[in-house]
Amino acid sequence: MAELTANQLHTAAHDDHGHMSEEEHNNNMKLGVWLYLASEIVIFSIMIVGYIIFRINEKDIVAQAHEELGVALVTANTFVLLASSFFMVMGLRAMQQGNRAGMLRWIGLTALGGIVFLGGQYIEYSELAHLGIVLGFDTASEWSTFGMRFYAPTFFHGAHVFVGVLWALEVMRRGAKGRYDNNPIGIEMFGLYWHFVDVVWIMLFTLIYLV
Amino acid sequence: MATIAVPLGAQAEQQEAETLRRPALTDYLRWSVDHKIIGVQYGVAAFIFFMVGGAMAMLIRLELWTPDLDVMVSGAAYNSLFTIHGTIMIFLFIIPMWAAFGNFVVPLQLGAKDMAFPWLNAFAFWLIPPAAVVVLLGYFVSPAEAGWTSYPPLSTLFSGDGQTLWALGAHLLGISSIMGSINFIVTIFNMRPPEMTIWRMPLLCWAVLATSIIAVMATPFLAGALTLLLLDRVAGTTFFDAAGGGDVLLWQNIFWFYSHPAVYIMVLPGMGVLSEVLSVHSRKPVFGYRMVGLSSMGIAFVGFTVWAHHMFTSLQPELRIPFMITTMIIAVPTGIKMFSWLGTIWGGKIRFTSAMLFALGFLSLFVIGGISGVMLAALPFDIHVHDTYFVVSHFHFVLFGGSVFAVYAALYHWFPKVTGRMMNERLGRIHFLFTYFGFLFTFFPMHVVGMLGMPRRVAVYVEAFQPWNQLISLAAFVLGFSSLIVIYNVIKSYYHGPIAGANPWRALTLEWQTTSPPPTMNFDDDPIPFEDPYGYGTEASAAYLDAVDEAFSGAAPAKGGGH
Repeated sequence: MAELTANQLHTAAHDDHGHMSEEEHNNNMKLGVWLYLASEIVIFSIMIVGYIIFRINEKDIVAQAHEELGVALVTANTFVLLASSFFMVMGLRAMQQGNRAGMLRWIGLTALGGIVFLGGQYIEYSELAHLGIVLGFDTASEWSTFGMRFYAPTFFHGAHVFVGVLWALEVMRRGAKGRYDNNPIGIEMFGLYWHFVDVVWIMLFTLIYLV
Repeated sequence: MATIAVPLGAQAEQQEAETLRRPALTDYLRWSVDHKIIGVQYGVAAFIFFMVGGAMAMLIRLELWTPDLDVMVSGAAYNSLFTIHGTIMIFLFIIPMWAAFGNFVVPLQLGAKDMAFPWLNAFAFWLIPPAAVVVLLGYFVSPAEAGWTSYPPLSTLFSGDGQTLWALGAHLLGISSIMGSINFIVTIFNMRPPEMTIWRMPLLCWAVLATSIIAVMATPFLAGALTLLLLDRVAGTTFFDAAGGGDVLLWQNIFWFYSHPAVYIMVLPGMGVLSEVLSVHSRKPVFGYRMVGLSSMGIAFVGFTVWAHHMFTSLQPELRIPFMITTMIIAVPTGIKMFSWLGTIWGGKIRFTSAMLFALGFLSLFVIGGISGVMLAALPFDIHVHDTYFVVSHFHFVLFGGSVFAVYAALYHWFPKVTGRMMNERLGRIHFLFTYFGFLFTFFPMHVVGMLGMPRRVAVYVEAFQPWNQLISLAAFVLGFSSLIVIYNVIKSYYHGPIAGANPWRALTLEWQTTSPPPTMNFDDDPIPFEDPYGYGTEASAAYLDAVDEAFSGAAPAKGGGH
């Protein structure tokens, strides 16, 4: 019993970040998220470079793909994602001004933007599937080599949007309880992630759909 | 609940443990966010994997006793055996083992109360057991046969489902390693006491910082490559299959772009340990402190420019020379470290403790591994010995002669801090002798058989190599036996070793300026770092150490003397 209590005390003491000032805690969190994002950049860059090499070698397939893909839907989708980044900033600003309800509204809109984006991506994927553009290699299909290089980065990005939506909901849950009233670092960290996801999308959009 | 009757002996034991302020053994089996507990969790888990991987090495050596296939049922079984041996030793032993020492020692050396992200720290550790289960499950389902490097098409077209599990497990371990490294970087940058500038930071912290930067920047390459490999295996894509418009070399490039920097993940912390141990046990300042710190960073940087020397036989010929040059260049920062270590012990008041013996063992063996590394960097020579036992010998010299010897040095050096008790020095010396000579006679002859042309990764070989292989196998069994000595020593010393006191080695770094083991929040009062972490041999340092002894007196007999 005695030892258990010691262990619990231990855990409590370490868990509460009781050993750090708020400023120290915030600085640590920010540096941590930046490092995490640096590692994410690497993973995305592998898929992006893979696509670029394919783009250079297989101009015809890509030109054909551009005709089929169309940019109307994806442009709208990109706009929604960019707007959600703006909502995100507004949410952080609201919290910094002490406006909890405003923060919840804006972050809610951010999450909604992410959901709309994922819906758009779903519609696009279904259209492409009808055209026979699939992930796996298929000797019979003229798209056989394009599909995997298209789906891998865009789906990987979509997965990040999905995680971002979950994160936004979590921020709202915590925010509603007043967790960020004094220290909005949690919202700021989510913001860093969300902007990162946005920037990656701008790169993917430009590389895959525009050039 | 103290009313429950406890046998008297156990009570006395418990009382003593309380004076040592040791966590209960069961605390190590629970979720804990205390970096000291997590460090031990990493260490014990990694050592268990070391034993498992070592047992597999024993099987490999048993198979190679004769030129024919006799222990294994098939060549494929042998393939999967060395695959799992390499995977365990690299992903489950050496990388987590450095996380063990990093976790335990780095926050203490910085005078911090814990790591920057205690919860993340625990989470990173607890990813390892499930990952290990996945990897080992793969071995029993239908094992991966492609070696730990998993080159396609071996890993895509010819390996069983175990390869998929292998990739999933490696993925989890990579994520764990990235999270751990982010934690180290933030801790080292943000949590130093104000008096400790970056140029007064202990060299282990420099090494862990460099290691962590590499891990954060390189491990995602592995994650990306594994993702594509998994897609190829599961979703029918052909990223690595030329028949489907893919590129086999893509894997080799991405994999080695991770894995060459990763070899420095495996050895840089060991180099940091060496700087600590050599300086403390020869009572002299580190020679060229700044250059040693910077050379860690230099290795981290240049390490990213040499990856294709693993591909000399598959690379476009015009790219070979540039990679040969960068590979030669990376020997320079390593040479700086060598020079510094020799300069540190030169004229020192050397105490041949077990920790020091293993550190000196590292010095003598790593230099051989370094030289064979430069030999392998030389293109004409590499093409001659490519895929032979010479290569096996080289990387065991740097990974076992280097990293494992540093692990042992670190174990003997910090065991008193972790447990509050000293290791048995006599057993330590016996352990050293068995390990050193077992190692030397296992791996040095491999140079010779390699140059004679014995290929690696085969179970069946030409009869002419049999005497060599029998010598190697015999020595390998001695080497395997030697690890039992240290296990016995650790268990015995944990319960019965002499009480260590706060600072048994009279070391200046901050982890020694608190009780052994340290209290929950590491320091009862904020520690004041000495002006120079390695300023041994001055009157000021002697006064500082005496003051420390005084502060923790009763528990700290000043032994060994020297200042």
